[in-house]
Amino acid sequence: MKIKKPIILFFCIILLCTHALLSQSEKSISLMVQWFPQAQFAGYIVAHEKGFYNEAGVDVTILFSDGTDSPLQEVLDKRIEFCTGWLSQTIKLRSENKPILNICQLLQKSSLMLVAKKESGIETAQDFKNKIVSNWGGDFSIQPIAFFQKQNIQPEVIPQSFRIDGFLVGAIDVTSAMYYNEYHKILQAGIDEDELVSFFFTDYDLNFPEDGIYCREETLQNEPEMCKTFIDATIKGWEYAFQNKEETLDIVMKYCREYHMQTNRSHQRWMLNAIEIAMTYKVEDDPNNWGILQKDDYYTVAEELLHQKLINTIPLYKEFYKDVAHER
Amino acid sequence: MKDEKVKVKRPLVRKLLLWIGLPLLLVYIIVILFTYFWSGDNALRQMKEYLFELTSHHASMLDGKFLKVSRASMGVADAIDEFSMPTKKELNALMKKKLSENRDIYGMATAFEPFAYNKMKLFSPYVYHSDNEILDVDLTLSYDYTLQDWFMIPKLLGTSYWGEPYFDESSAKILMATYSQPMYKNGKFIGVSTADISLDDLEREMNNIRIMAGHTFIITRTGTFIYHPIKEYMMNESIFSLAEEDDQPELREIGKKMIAGEQGITTFRDVTTGEKSWLVYSPIPDCDWSFAAVIPDKEIMKTVNSMVLKQIIIMVIGLFIILLAILWAAIGITNPIKRLLGFANRISKGDLDEKITGIRGHDEIHELVKAFNKMTYDLKHYISDLTAATKAKESVESELRIARQIQESLLPRIFPPFPDVEEFDLYARNIPAKEVAGDFFDFFMLDDDHIAIIIADVSGKGISAGLFMAVTRTLMKTVCVQGVPPADAMEKANIVLCQDNDACMFTTLFLAIYNIRTGHMHWTNAGHDEPIILSEDGSYRILKTFKDIALGINEFHKYHEGEAQLEIGDKMVLYTDGVLEATSPEQELYGEKRFLKILSENADKTLVEMLDVITEDLDGFQKDNQFDDITILLLKREK
Repeated sequence: MKIKKPIILFFCIILLCTHALLSQSEKSISLMVQWFPQAQFAGYIVAHEKGFYNEAGVDVTILFSDGTDSPLQEVLDKRIEFCTGWLSQTIKLRSENKPILNICQLLQKSSLMLVAKKESGIETAQDFKNKIVSNWGGDFSIQPIAFFQKQNIQPEVIPQSFRIDGFLVGAIDVTSAMYYNEYHKILQAGIDEDELVSFFFTDYDLNFPEDGIYCREETLQNEPEMCKTFIDATIKGWEYAFQNKEETLDIVMKYCREYHMQTNRSHQRWMLNAIEIAMTYKVEDDPNNWGILQKDDYYTVAEELLHQKLINTIPLYKEFYKDVAHER
Repeated sequence: MKDEKVKVKRPLVRKLLLWIGLPLLLVYIIVILFTYFWSGDNALRQMKEYLFELTSHHASMLDGKFLKVSRASMGVADAIDEFSMPTKKELNALMKKKLSENRDIYGMATAFEPFAYNKMKLFSPYVYHSDNEILDVDLTLSYDYTLQDWFMIPKLLGTSYWGEPYFDESSAKILMATYSQPMYKNGKFIGVSTADISLDDLEREMNNIRIMAGHTFIITRTGTFIYHPIKEYMMNESIFSLAEEDDQPELREIGKKMIAGEQGITTFRDVTTGEKSWLVYSPIPDCDWSFAAVIPDKEIMKTVNSMVLKQIIIMVIGLFIILLAILWAAIGITNPIKRLLGFANRISKGDLDEKITGIRGHDEIHELVKAFNKMTYDLKHYISDLTAATKAKESVESELRIARQIQESLLPRIFPPFPDVEEFDLYARNIPAKEVAGDFFDFFMLDDDHIAIIIADVSGKGISAGLFMAVTRTLMKTVCVQGVPPADAMEKANIVLCQDNDACMFTTLFLAIYNIRTGHMHWTNAGHDEPIILSEDGSYRILKTFKDIALGINEFHKYHEGEAQLEIGDKMVLYTDGVLEATSPEQELYGEKRFLKILSENADKTLVEMLDVITEDLDGFQKDNQFDDITILLLKREK
């Protein structure tokens, strides 16, 4: 059978138009995370690399902050659509009437902690007296300050760099650490867990949920479907990451190398496991429960912020948080 | 003469090899096994010591390098402490001088505490190498250095501090490590003096260090690799991260020792190869880092084994040489012995003219050869002497033989002597001993009726006895004449024999003159055994005589004469002492009793038969033990 040329041409045009329409429907958005690539962001990276975003119809560009730029400010400045951030930061912004919305609270458990070496003679927080404690600034200092107040201690606090060298060589007695990162770096510097004394803020009623996904109010208002698609694909990414850890680590390590991160696979494995702990805290392993901002956690953070006079009023929970993942 | 081949069942060479070679071989096998196990350990220990030394050496070299950098920084700190605060220009000049003096220093900074330098909030001049020139810059333009570890840690510690290496993002983008020396003025902290070392140079240097077929690495005090042949490990992995990733808690323990500044050698599973390897580590004290070498166990064992193998090869060659030496020695011993054996065989065949020559040395073998040669010589002479002696003896023996022949020829040999005479029968038999003895008998007719019968035994043996007997016999023939009484004849003979008898020889002799018609006889006896008269019925009587002394002793002796009568059928038995003194091998004497018994039992037999029986009985009794002549003479009256 011989097909006539005009007919072929017609089908070609149809095909091209369809493709163009489909392409247009794939929305290009950007997500900025707080730091360079590491397992802390494995879910997003995996969702991107495994094509979960694309499959869901969103073209996500993941941006990594180098610490000098603020992802939240990038969102507020409308340069990007989504970012990750700590609850304490965003409650402050919200209380300043910034149109920021939490649309998915992933990490349920605070990983921030204080660590001391047993050899420095520290057993309890009361032993911090006359000891040098190092803290990161900003949002990282809220829990320690609250902790010191609760413990009624006033140790000498000095600013902390991003490295733990001061603690390792004994210049600093107590250091702040993220359980998923610095804590393990201490272990990877040859100090055993039983040589350390750890103070997890969650154990002192200071559970400040950390990484959540934020966007502007208008983003959710204008494109709720896109937001839900993005969140669902993200959760799918995390689910995949925890189920396929070694593959995830392959992907994460590839990113780390690209960004010249000074890290290693076992550290990233620790981080992935620690993130999983933080993410499944209170909400079990069921991904259907993931992304919920617990009301009591919200008020724990907000009240502490109020207490430390970092905010004047507590924003309404309902206005601050939209459970996109579980909306119907 | 050619040596004949001697077949030996168990040759000495084989024996020596078995006795010496085999124990030696066993000892060697034990020694070799011992060497393999013990010497292996020993070689391993030596190897460990060597690696230990080598690693220490490299660590000290590195330490020296770091020390020079830290000294430079200390120099700057000291200068600020000593003098009044230098101007910015002076400070830059001082640092640039230090920089130019030491190419290992990449850059130097003098960072002051806020308001410590001329009331300035922050002040930190920095000089650094850029291509071929030294540039200066103010760090305050880049960042707040007071929050930096290199500033804060020495300030807090109050001591100098080698910081963890980092990628210098601000200028050269190279891996650097910074030494910080806190500065004090009037006991008050005023800032730090720093010196940076480029680890890119270190990497180049480290790449040139070869320790066997292994690799080296350096870890910092946190265990982080700042040099490793796998570039990806550098700054990313620590010895502890590898221990964790490889699930090797032992490696973590090793790492803890390393960062504690310990020195050691241990085995572990190399993470990169998965092979059992040796880890030798030594601290770099100035910066609290640790230098280590990793050598695969198989490489070490290869070296160790080749050392052991060399020893074993030398031993095997030694063993071979010793076995050859034994063989050589054995042949050296057995060859002369073989020649001696052939020699001895020839000697046994009578060849005494040969002499062994060509065996050198002064050992026992040589002495044996000498002894052999002397023995042959002596034997030869002895044999020739013996031959001569034998010849002499043979000549004497032939004389004796002649004497015996003479003696035998003197005795009557034809029996019966008088076949025509019917009145009597006479038989005699002489059984001679080996030597010539002096027995003799004789009988001769004096007239038709009378016969003289003589039996005698000369004293002594040999020729002299034979000659004395011949003389006596001739004499008796001469003196016995018809009509002369036997005693007179005996006296005459005695007188002649006594004369000139210097040898003092004598003879016993019985003489009877018998009347063949009447059976009557006259007799005289010169010390001889008395005759026996035997009747036909077996009864007998001994003829009692006057036992006068033997002839040749006393020339004046008067001999007595007696008479006797033989009835028809009676036999007179004359005999010499050889009969009664015949001795058995058991030294029993034949004796009169046995003689009389055998005579009595055979009285009815003919004279020849009787003689045969007696001879047979005597032979049976004395076997080959006859010492003396035995002579028996039988006379029977027939009518």
